[in-house]
Amino acid sequence: MKPLVHILFALLLSALQASLLRWAGGGAFSLLLPVACVVYLAIHAGNVDGSVGAAGVGYVMDLTTGTTKGLMTFLAVAAFLVVRVVQSSVDVRGRVGFAALTGLTTFLVSFGALTLTLVASPSEVAPGIRLLPRMLVEAALTGALSPLVLEGMKRLDGLFRREETGLLR
Amino acid sequence: MLQLLKRYRELILVAALLVVPLGVYFARARRPAERSALDRAVVWATAPVEKAVSWTITGALRAWNGYLALHGAEERAVALSREVNSLLVERQELLQDRAEVERLRRLLAFARAAPGRSYVGAKVVGVELSPSGLQLLVIDRGEEDGVTRMKPVITADGVVGRVHTATAHGAEVLLITDRSSSVAVQVDRSRTRGNVRGLGRPEMCKLDYALRAEDMADGDLLVTSGTDGVFPRGLPVGKVTQLKKSGNGLFQDAMVAPAVDVTRVEEVLVVSGWETRTSEIGPASPAARGRP
Repeated sequence: MKPLVHILFALLLSALQASLLRWAGGGAFSLLLPVACVVYLAIHAGNVDGSVGAAGVGYVMDLTTGTTKGLMTFLAVAAFLVVRVVQSSVDVRGRVGFAALTGLTTFLVSFGALTLTLVASPSEVAPGIRLLPRMLVEAALTGALSPLVLEGMKRLDGLFRREETGLLR
Repeated sequence: MLQLLKRYRELILVAALLVVPLGVYFARARRPAERSALDRAVVWATAPVEKAVSWTITGALRAWNGYLALHGAEERAVALSREVNSLLVERQELLQDRAEVERLRRLLAFARAAPGRSYVGAKVVGVELSPSGLQLLVIDRGEEDGVTRMKPVITADGVVGRVHTATAHGAEVLLITDRSSSVAVQVDRSRTRGNVRGLGRPEMCKLDYALRAEDMADGDLLVTSGTDGVFPRGLPVGKVTQLKKSGNGLFQDAMVAPAVDVTRVEEVLVVSGWETRTSEIGPASPAARGRP
């Protein structure tokens, strides 16, 4: 149930992101807000829940970004694993740390997508390295907005938290 | 085997979540496929969400632009209103200039059409259209410009009047609509002669001395005959209206609608001289000099 809610939240984020981009920049820049969900899952969720949720979020990104199916799903799960490894050695519980990690992860996801597309797509349709500055902007903006996603995900997780009566009253 | 699977199930799951999408991606990367039914269903489910979000953002932006961002709108409106007023005045001036240019162009064309005449152009600087007194226009040219008493004053439309008094730098023009004004005319079509006399009304004159037997009809154009020694021949004076041929009497009774609307004249030409033909008496003739 929980991964499904996370995936639905990612879907909502994608819709919000599409509307925001339409009104704010008209395509001048881009965002990848669902990556923040993946980062959150990597920090707070378990291995199974988190990886399934990350794959679901990746699937949503596949659908909403219009990339070839499988690309963002793979990258989301890969990002989940990378962040999980990183967070074991770095404290990213604060908002700033979360934002920095999300920005970095977004850049890695974008860069991975670029690399895989370069490898797999016919050379005439493959994107060029000139997209790099745009990817940096995307990572910075996503990182900047990620604390809002963090709050949203925390609230969602709060819905599944059961109050335990405890022994002392 | 089962125990092995149970032991490494998380690892296997994660590996599957990595490998399967990657395989799907490489399979589809070179041959893009249509979206599956599941994909379409998800996109379909997303659409209302996106619409709702878009509607909310649009509403918020509209609210912002419509209400909150109106700070300073009054000042802008006042400034724009001032600018509009200034532009309206400027436009009015330009329209007047354009109308003046058009009138002057017509006057020029008229003057060029009769090379035998010499003209002095003048601007109307004063008007006196009293029904009880004289009907006069004051122009800005006088004796120093060659404008002297009895000189014909015309526009491109026809006769305005004649110079009544002239000073060094100005002159008064007695309009053809004045009671004491009389212009010798003839019907342009039939050459029937008569006299156009003013009635003291700017919009109407009277036709005198047109013989009853002569050919004349409503709408006939009256032009100067040149026999009065004041006006050159052939200048439009007006049109015959309200023609009445009574059973007795020598003359026809008719009114004349002046060719020139004397209430709207702004520029005129004073005919300072013209070549006389055998049937026309010029201003230099003794008859012209002796008339009031």
